[in-house]
Amino acid sequence: MVPALSVRHLEKSYGPLTAVDDVTFDVERGEIFALLGPNGAGKTTTIEILEGFLTRDRGEVMVLGVDPGEAPHLRWLRNQIGVVLQELAVEPFFTVRQVLERNAGFYSHPRPVDEVIELVGLTHKGDVKVKKLSGGQQRRLDIGLGIVGNPSILFLDEPTTGLDPAARRTTWDLVRLLSAQGTTVLMSSHYMDEVEALAHRVAVLSRGRIAAQGPTASLGGRDTGEVTIRFTLPTDIGVDDLPIPVTPVVDDLVEIRTSDELNILHRLTSWALERRVALAGLVVTRETLEDMYLALTRDDRAGATRSSP
Amino acid sequence: MTNDNVVPRHWWRDLRLVAHQVKYEQMAFWINRVGAVFTVGFSVVFLVMLGLSAGNQRNASLGDVRLVQYYVPGFIAYGVMAAGFTTLAITIVVRRETGLLKRLRLSPLPTWVLITSIFLSTLMVALAQVAVLIVIGRFAYQVPFPSSWPALLVAVLVGIVSFSAMGIAISCAVPNQETAGPVTSIVFFILLFLAGLWFPLPPGSGLAKFSNYLPVRHLMTAMDRSFQIPRGTSPWAWDDLLVVALWGIGATLISLRRFRWSPRRS
Repeated sequence: MVPALSVRHLEKSYGPLTAVDDVTFDVERGEIFALLGPNGAGKTTTIEILEGFLTRDRGEVMVLGVDPGEAPHLRWLRNQIGVVLQELAVEPFFTVRQVLERNAGFYSHPRPVDEVIELVGLTHKGDVKVKKLSGGQQRRLDIGLGIVGNPSILFLDEPTTGLDPAARRTTWDLVRLLSAQGTTVLMSSHYMDEVEALAHRVAVLSRGRIAAQGPTASLGGRDTGEVTIRFTLPTDIGVDDLPIPVTPVVDDLVEIRTSDELNILHRLTSWALERRVALAGLVVTRETLEDMYLALTRDDRAGATRSSP
Repeated sequence: MTNDNVVPRHWWRDLRLVAHQVKYEQMAFWINRVGAVFTVGFSVVFLVMLGLSAGNQRNASLGDVRLVQYYVPGFIAYGVMAAGFTTLAITIVVRRETGLLKRLRLSPLPTWVLITSIFLSTLMVALAQVAVLIVIGRFAYQVPFPSSWPALLVAVLVGIVSFSAMGIAISCAVPNQETAGPVTSIVFFILLFLAGLWFPLPPGSGLAKFSNYLPVRHLMTAMDRSFQIPRGTSPWAWDDLLVVALWGIGATLISLRRFRWSPRRS
């Protein structure tokens, strides 16, 4: 079976600005794949090329086995995809049911409107005007418009930007539910927690390039790499008294970076128990997605020139 | 994945899609009310006010007809232009800037179905206000019915298609939602004033010559002729409609080059 999405060496420029540069990734059917990156990293441009909204300069793109850049496929393709845009694109003066029924009419096999209303948690809001809904409810209606055509691929461009924490959770639950029902999801986000909570795999984009790509849990080997052990030096004990060399961080806080955490912790804690001293604030941390992300997009934020590959 | 990707769709199913979209375009127009006030509302208010102030006044430069007889076809032209030009331009800018156009573009709704539906919906609005103005003219001011209904209908059709094309063209030049109303209204009212909608232009005046190059006066003349004033001439104003149509074609060419489905990137 062909992958849901397949992107090879994709390139797109706006005049002198390179928006997408040699981007390559695949998304399997039923998978949630995230494009993570700061604003202007090329997430939306990539998504818009896959939707057939923008043309590309170079590279190959296949969506459900067809090229979205070829006009004869577009109508078929747009019947198979659902789109949730960054902007809230709904007429304020229509009711929830009116907009859903209108858009359902565009598709050959739409999802029943009542089912959509139910799915996005707007039960009893069907006859309410869009402008009377809260921000979170409007966003859920927006997602409802994305799934009313019963799509096999859903494009979610920053789905929870501007939502309160409760509304974000409901949106996440909805995306998980759709994924469990077999919908492929390509999402973009600049929220680390969102990507960690939802995506099976992630590509970190920085200045139009993929800086890292892989399963969310093990991106860049962060599940097996170094850990950081930190604690506060006990009173009257100097760095030289410890059984293991440490690096001072600030005041009495010290840290050890190691990939042999089992042995190091054993030696450290045995020593502390023998000496009957406490290791205040002892923590062991593994590199978070955020650390990875910040390291990978450092150039981007510093505004430095891009290093050659 | 080869043969079934281009699903054959029968044309009558697409016509049903046109009917579906026209229904929601109509709902949007009448629920939203702004457009309805601008087109039907304004033309009725103008006609009633000017009709009252003109009374039985006659105008020599118009061939000694009652002024109000000039205003009925004039405001029919106004309503057609307001529906096609101002209202449509504002609607398109708002839809583009809020992402509605992009969403429509990304749905399976074919572009021709969308455009046809918008034209048909605009035409329905225009016909509704034409009917209202003719009835007010006939029963409040004793202005006779048009002498040629087909000529009036053709003038309305040409007017709607051409001025809709001009509305779409000017929407491409409007940068954002905030300026959509002011820009289109200012352009529109200047054009109307130059064409002598409120104050009939003396024939042969500089302004009358200048307005010959613009479409507004020609559409007013075409409407006027279908009411057959002055007497004895044909109700068909083909030369005037040709000028209106040429403006429509020009506007279509601009729209084809400049139309945008989404806001300009900042």
